[in-house]
Amino acid sequence: MKQTMSPRLRRRENISGYLFLLPSLVFFLGFVVYPMVSCIYLSFTDANMDANTPTKWIWFANYVELWQDEVFLKGLWNTIIIVLVSVPVVCIFSLWVASAIHKMKEGPLSFFRIVFYLPVITGSVAVTVVWKWMYNNYYGIFNYLLKGVGVIDKNINWLGDPKYALACIILILLTTSVGQPIVLYVSALSNVDQSLVEAAEVDGATNTQVFWKIRWPQIMPTTLYILVITTINSFQCFALIQLLTSGGPNYATETIMYYIYYTAFKLYRFGYGNAMGVVLAIFIAILSAIQFRMAKEK
Amino acid sequence: MKKVLALILAFCMIFALTACGSKTPASTESAAPSGGTEITLWTYPIGNWGDEKTVKALTDAFTAETGIKVTVEYLTYKDGDDKVNTAITAKKTPDLVMEGPERLVSNWGANGHMVDISDLFDDTDKKEINAAALAACFNADGKAYEYPLVMTAHCMAVNYNAFVEAGADQYINKETHTWTTEQFLKAVDALYAKYGDTVGAVFCNGQGGDQGTRALVNNLYGGTFTNAEHTAYTWDDAKNIKALKTLYDQNGIAYDASIVGGDEIANFYNGIFKMAFCWNIAQQLNPNSAGNGAGKTANGDEIVFMAFPSEDGTAKLQGGIWGFGIFDNGDAAKIEASKKFIKYMCDSAKTVDAVRASNFFAARSAAEGTDLSKVWADNEVMNEYTKLMPMLGDYYQVTTNWATARTAWWNMLQKVGASDGSEAAITAAVNEFCGQANGK
Repeated sequence: MKQTMSPRLRRRENISGYLFLLPSLVFFLGFVVYPMVSCIYLSFTDANMDANTPTKWIWFANYVELWQDEVFLKGLWNTIIIVLVSVPVVCIFSLWVASAIHKMKEGPLSFFRIVFYLPVITGSVAVTVVWKWMYNNYYGIFNYLLKGVGVIDKNINWLGDPKYALACIILILLTTSVGQPIVLYVSALSNVDQSLVEAAEVDGATNTQVFWKIRWPQIMPTTLYILVITTINSFQCFALIQLLTSGGPNYATETIMYYIYYTAFKLYRFGYGNAMGVVLAIFIAILSAIQFRMAKEK
Repeated sequence: MKKVLALILAFCMIFALTACGSKTPASTESAAPSGGTEITLWTYPIGNWGDEKTVKALTDAFTAETGIKVTVEYLTYKDGDDKVNTAITAKKTPDLVMEGPERLVSNWGANGHMVDISDLFDDTDKKEINAAALAACFNADGKAYEYPLVMTAHCMAVNYNAFVEAGADQYINKETHTWTTEQFLKAVDALYAKYGDTVGAVFCNGQGGDQGTRALVNNLYGGTFTNAEHTAYTWDDAKNIKALKTLYDQNGIAYDASIVGGDEIANFYNGIFKMAFCWNIAQQLNPNSAGNGAGKTANGDEIVFMAFPSEDGTAKLQGGIWGFGIFDNGDAAKIEASKKFIKYMCDSAKTVDAVRASNFFAARSAAEGTDLSKVWADNEVMNEYTKLMPMLGDYYQVTTNWATARTAWWNMLQKVGASDGSEAAITAAVNEFCGQANGK
């Protein structure tokens, strides 16, 4: 017999439900929706710290200025390089590691998962300080080792030389980014339907064929997720730049995220900084959409 | 009953959330007699004005005398500006803030967030306060946004033992703490010949300690950073370009875009560099904040503070001035109480304690009959350091567009360091960034 709730009871249930939702909703509205709307609004103004002059609505002037701002364009270019290098490398490297370790026994498997996940759970400031020490121009371990084996005869200023600085940042980013994808891939590979793998092997499929025809399609959702989060993380690379290079030398490590911070909190050009934030959000949204689309088609 | 419980739970969660969002800064309060006005002070770590115990003793004494309660929050130079700017945006600024004119006058004051406190300066004050410090506290319109408490001269330092080993000690005058540009370059040559590596760095990773690189470049051949009226940046003049090129060409000196002033001090303290361009009395008293005794490196070498080298040996040193300003929160009672606090700390019989807490020198000769020129008579290092005070140069950090200019300076150094070192490349870099500073 079908039981139906009275309208009064249903209303009460709904109210209770909404009350439970309320804290999250307040948080979401206050810390996500409001800042987003505010960011878009301010990007059309000349908002700054000056209390003596009222904020003016300047339409698209900030957006026009962006494309004439050499530092922004340099930051955009550097950000794109970071994304183009780190996203494929993180995905391929983590898949390779996961493929190598996912069949291991529990003990060694846990060991490798811990090893690769440690940089993720270690505070970014601590990780950065250690890397800064390793890169040090005067007593860093990289110079010490490379000089020791005769690769270089003079210390290299890794973070102070425009030729090397961005590559150094990307290297750190890679080490802190691969932990989560490896864990996710290990889990995804372990969940691949073994009966299909065995059937393919019985039919004479090679390891490569098994991987591309059986495993790869089944781990595609995980790959998509990893692609999206790695892309977003790469676009939002900030702490490393702030702690290590401040965007230098000579803008070699300037990224959009760091330039937003610098423009808003050092030059106090809130409107212009927000315009950059909007552009960055659009870039991330477009790339994520493309990634979803491509994965869906596959 | 279940729904009542659900309701209570929901409200608890909401209140918990609200509690998370409430702003409760790490702060100390002075014990106050009930009924008195309450004011808040945010202070940067200016000597022991960043030390809770020291500051509490000062504010407790003030509270006992006036009945005004003071809540203090301690800022750091790392994120202090961000905190203040966030507070300005959220209209939650403190009543008082302690820092220098580059922030209080040319930034927050110029942007309309500070109270004009020119009424606090009477004729006696104007006579007693150091002229450079007094001028720095006023803007071009004659409004004062800072009342000065202390000041110092920024300088450089050398590792005297290393200088002796390299035979470079002949180029410095240990008595007067001065040297000429020629002597400086010869000393670097001698050090480089001895150690074969970088002995001093034009650090330019960020703005930390940038007063040192500015003073070095400006003094070498008599260049200036701004004009005398503080209306334009002049570091694109030929003298500064010559200095930048000299430093570029000099063996033993490196433009280093991977370090800031703090890193340079650490390298100097640990014996890697033989000279530091970011130095002042606080460092001389406690090098690298290591608590290893005054004027000593990590391995016990003697540190000698020096004026920056100049062609005739008379340097113009960059000053540091610190004092109090009042944020305009629209509360007349709090503004009045804040003014009382300022006069108590900066112009009363208690000023001696406030000055000593800073580890710097009083910005005035006397306060309400108390002679402040002998505050440090019992301290040998401080006494010796007073030899640099007459060399204080123009306090140009109040020039318009200072935040942009400051950043443009170290970006320019990075570009010079990464260039081929030709005069044309250096000139182009200087013109580009000086132009930015001048808003072109």
